[in-house]
Amino acid sequence: MSKFADIQIDPAIVKRAARGDAKAHEIIYRAFSAPVYSVCLRFTRVPAQAEDLLQDTFMEVIRSVPKFRGEAPLGMWIRRIAISKALMFLRSAWHSRGQSLDDEWEEMTFESRGLPLNSARQDQAMDLEVALANLPEVSRTVVWLHDVEGFTHKEIADFMGKTESFSKSQLSRAYQRLRPMLDAEIERVEPKSDMQGSVLGSC
Amino acid sequence: MTSRDEQQDEKMNIGLSVAERELLQSRLRELKDTTPPREVWQRIEAQARAERLFQGRYFEAGKWLTGAGIAAAVVLAVLNVSAPVIEGGDEIISDTPSIAEIDNSGPTNLNALMVQSQQIERDLRALPGQPRMVRASTAATIAELEDRIAAIDYRLNHPAYRLTQIEAEIYWRERVRLMNSLLNLRRAQAQRMAF
Repeated sequence: MSKFADIQIDPAIVKRAARGDAKAHEIIYRAFSAPVYSVCLRFTRVPAQAEDLLQDTFMEVIRSVPKFRGEAPLGMWIRRIAISKALMFLRSAWHSRGQSLDDEWEEMTFESRGLPLNSARQDQAMDLEVALANLPEVSRTVVWLHDVEGFTHKEIADFMGKTESFSKSQLSRAYQRLRPMLDAEIERVEPKSDMQGSVLGSC
Repeated sequence: MTSRDEQQDEKMNIGLSVAERELLQSRLRELKDTTPPREVWQRIEAQARAERLFQGRYFEAGKWLTGAGIAAAVVLAVLNVSAPVIEGGDEIISDTPSIAEIDNSGPTNLNALMVQSQQIERDLRALPGQPRMVRASTAATIAELEDRIAAIDYRLNHPAYRLTQIEAEIYWRERVRLMNSLLNLRRAQAQRMAF
């Protein structure tokens, strides 16, 4: 289940926010800024872009919270805004320009986040962070939306303006690239014979 | 398609064993969140106040007057360096300030940002003119950047927006960031023209 669903906000705070209370908005921001920023950072990998998306998301929250009816948890509502903003950004001409402009972004981003591309792995979490960061942008986004946020392929397709097949094939490609890391970890934990019984899907 | 078909379809497409997939999902969910830099909330707050989305607190008379001195000083400094200069009846749009023109008594960060902004503008002017053929996406991006810079300049220059020192700094920092993006884009354009 998404982390967004685990964060509870007192309805009285939401009501105060709807009336334009700055302090209430700050409380909501403090509660959700890290998950929103993390999602945006995982999608874009560029901290400055993730900061902009975080700002855009919360500006939208501030503008729209008077219309929030509370039918879904606040966190899920904020998550949808954040993901929409991030995906819109990924599809924008602005971002396309950034990608073609700066081929060095990848290394710069890794350096700035202290994630060396080829150095010895520190731990499993670092392994996965690096493996995830090395995925193509769209595949990484689909993996996150599907496996962490729990969206279906149909929902992902709707978000991205693509077909379900597109979402499935992106997920499949991502899994292919992540598999060696997963296999290595499984081998560390389980005997090899256990793996032979598992069903490997074809792509 | 039945749900069983969908499950089968899913299995056929994912390309991972059940163990691999469960491991991946659990590891992904265990990844730690990253805390954003502190100044992001300040930017959001400044923007929300500028758009008058927050009620009461900030515009209470006491606090308004408390900040008025600093805000007025900043606005004056900004007006001093950015307003059009009228000479002999001709309107001359002033360039960004030279280092000497910047009020050194103001906050160091603000001055540094103004100087940075001025340097970027110089670099932009040094680039060759825009090519006659520009890709639509590039043109749209340039226009978007220029619009955003113009919006910031409006905020910085308009006397109605009485910016606090922090707000002015946030706007200047954003201006520098956008100008940098514009410079990078124009440089890339210039490189393409050279080939």
